[in-house]
Amino acid sequence: MPTTLMGLDRAREIYSDRSQRAKELRRNGKKITGYICLYPVIEMITAADSVPYRIFGDLREPITKADSHMATVVCSFMRSCLDIGLKGRYDFLDGVVFAHVCDVTCMIPGIWRQTIPTKYTHFIDTPHTLHPSSREYFRTLLDDFRVTLEAYTGVKLTPERLKKAIQLHNTQRALVRELYEMKKPDPPLLSGVETLIVLKTIMSLPVEEGNNLLREVIQEVKTRHNTLTKKKARLLVWGSVLDDTAFIDMIESLDANVVIDDTCVGSRAYFNDVPMTSNPMDGLAQYYLSDIKCPRTVKEAEHGGKRKDYKADLEARFGYLKEYTRDWNVNGVILQSLRYCDGHGYEVPGLKDYFEDLGLPSIYLEHDYSVAALAPLRTRVQGLTEIIG
Amino acid sequence: MTMEKAIRGPSPERPINRLKSMYPLRALVDETYRDTLAAAKANKPVAWSMLDFGFYPPILNALDIEAVYPENYGTVCAAAGVATPFLDRSEAEGFPTHLCGYAQNCFGYAARMFHDLGGKIPEEAPQGGMPKPMVLLASGAACDARFKWFQSLGRYIDVPVWTLESPRSSMKESLMPGAYEREVDFLLRELRDFVAFMERLVGKKVDWDRFSEDIDDSRAMDAVWYSITDELRTARPCPMHTRDHYSAMNSSLFRAKDPQRVKKLYEDMYDEVRARIDRKEAGINRPEKYRIGFFGLAPWHALVLFDKLAERGWNFVREDYHSPRPLPEVDKIQDPLERLVKYRHREVRQEIEAEFPPNEAEEILRDIKEKGFSIKSGVRFGRKYQLDGVIFHSNLTCRQMSGTQNSRQKNLLEAYRVPSLIIEGDIVDARLFDMEGTMKKCEAFEETMEYYRSVRAKEGLEW
Repeated sequence: MPTTLMGLDRAREIYSDRSQRAKELRRNGKKITGYICLYPVIEMITAADSVPYRIFGDLREPITKADSHMATVVCSFMRSCLDIGLKGRYDFLDGVVFAHVCDVTCMIPGIWRQTIPTKYTHFIDTPHTLHPSSREYFRTLLDDFRVTLEAYTGVKLTPERLKKAIQLHNTQRALVRELYEMKKPDPPLLSGVETLIVLKTIMSLPVEEGNNLLREVIQEVKTRHNTLTKKKARLLVWGSVLDDTAFIDMIESLDANVVIDDTCVGSRAYFNDVPMTSNPMDGLAQYYLSDIKCPRTVKEAEHGGKRKDYKADLEARFGYLKEYTRDWNVNGVILQSLRYCDGHGYEVPGLKDYFEDLGLPSIYLEHDYSVAALAPLRTRVQGLTEIIG
Repeated sequence: MTMEKAIRGPSPERPINRLKSMYPLRALVDETYRDTLAAAKANKPVAWSMLDFGFYPPILNALDIEAVYPENYGTVCAAAGVATPFLDRSEAEGFPTHLCGYAQNCFGYAARMFHDLGGKIPEEAPQGGMPKPMVLLASGAACDARFKWFQSLGRYIDVPVWTLESPRSSMKESLMPGAYEREVDFLLRELRDFVAFMERLVGKKVDWDRFSEDIDDSRAMDAVWYSITDELRTARPCPMHTRDHYSAMNSSLFRAKDPQRVKKLYEDMYDEVRARIDRKEAGINRPEKYRIGFFGLAPWHALVLFDKLAERGWNFVREDYHSPRPLPEVDKIQDPLERLVKYRHREVRQEIEAEFPPNEAEEILRDIKEKGFSIKSGVRFGRKYQLDGVIFHSNLTCRQMSGTQNSRQKNLLEAYRVPSLIIEGDIVDARLFDMEGTMKKCEAFEETMEYYRSVRAKEGLEW
């Protein structure tokens, strides 16, 4: 039965049972294609007339099946994704696309293919550097993806189809940026928890439906009586995946608002557009190799120079965060990472140096993927809010 | 003290029957550190390099650049029992403790050397330490942690970092039409850019004749090493223990500055191992009761574990670590860089066809194409070495080598009825390893191995 809910209520409904719409679409003949992390090229999935559906874990579900396949020294988010798959909760997916984001994302395809029956799977290797050779190589890998995706969906990915899909996803990015604009006032018009709910929801819907929902949410937030209160800390939260509101909720239950983030169920997927190029595959290759901000890609001030300038290197890697802190008037930073996430872990001392130079206090929180593990972190966040102001 | 103790000669009283021919190979490691320190003293270029499975070494050789390997230095510090202060220092610098143990050791070392001592090598550094490099050579081969490690060293050292990328497709996508050729093109471009960078940096041109000879010599060297590890060690009893493999592998794994010389040393080892086979002499000085594979990186601070298990008749006969596979026919390729790429970066199809009989190779390739995986391709050592069991070392600080161990356990059991045991610890951090608990687990595992020996017999497997 069609829902009557709109805007934030609709987002909350889908957030609490995010597969409902995908299952409904599948019953009506749509192919649903799961993907892990931000690097599978979702515009191509949309262009192939399939619904891209981001695979998440479940923070509130104990991992009971994945441990037979993956070691516990692997990040608990990826283990949870696998666990949920093994429990059959992704059995409505017709296909799954993987990409080389980190070591663990390279392990998942083999295990998934062996243990979770899925009609179609594809793995996109993704270089870690922005070398000219990496760009060329990656571009050819997207052609390989196109070949298998066309065979799976039976849809030819013409330039027109691809351009239309890119436009739709770029519209989504613009709408999300508009949403984040509403977090600039003090107090912000939208909480960190609400932001996460909306973004996780649109990662579960066809892009047009997600865009419509975003328009409703923007309209609602603009016109509602602001329910948020002004708090001492206006925080930037940086780090690895947060796909449950628990972490942000813990922060916002204190004297702090999360006004901007640099996470992958947050700004990372939306703050740059895919460039419109004459061959749309070129723009996609550009975006997915170099424009997503995840630390899995090495960015450096100078490639092949004779000397390393540490400050210049930090600026090349983290300069965008300076803009975030300025534009959203941030006065404190939480660096957070799931234990065993190496890509984020290596960045921590450099980032702390960078924020120290900016005169911003920061703390680093390492956590496991469970609600219970968040409790001890509350005191540390409280400590940060006390330093601020 | 640990190091000095370890280089005593072979003795029948000791549980592991060390090969005499191993000692000069292990001495090459010490030589590398000495040469690098001497080069730094003489103001010659020195690099800190990552293990990259053979792409950097012939270029470094052709440019006369000395290199140390911080990963190897992590094992040296761990084995010498001096890693803990470096690990503690890394943690104090803010690096999470789950990061690669080798990297943490390196961060602690770099902080001590460059922040505390103004570039002077710490007195406590074993092997005389690693001198200040002129360049950091990172690599995308093997694991992703390494992309960020050397960049993070920018906090301590103001020298450039070069990162050599490597393709990392999964097997299914590697079999797509044209995939291998594109991987080769990618690596070739990467290497050409690297050569241009290094020539600019050191103001010297690569000696291509020397480079070419180096590749040919390295291939000949690796062929001998392969014969030892992949052919002779399948004998019953296994004539060469894992500890000898670890001690002798460095030249083939990291870098051989003079591959002709190393080839001769490997030939000596081949002769000694061959003679042991003729005499039915094992790599342990006790009857070979169990043939064991050791998969994962070793706990370098606790290698005595192998001695304790040798006392119980455990002969470690295979690692999943490094073994150059059969050589492709690359002699006719004129471009030396392309020859290097095609030698070092193998085509999946070619690898499988070289490792398995034709019918089985066909079945494996079909499985990969259709299902996306093949159980047999990943656990072939179980049958080839007639393993009674496998010890997987789960490293708290290494996802790449530990992540899929549970899955591999199941596959080994399913394909060849080979049971396995996961022991927990770390490559560098001795505090994460419980020797007593590990020994108890291993002792209990003997019953499991006995049980599966009878299962294999019932099912008609050869061992």
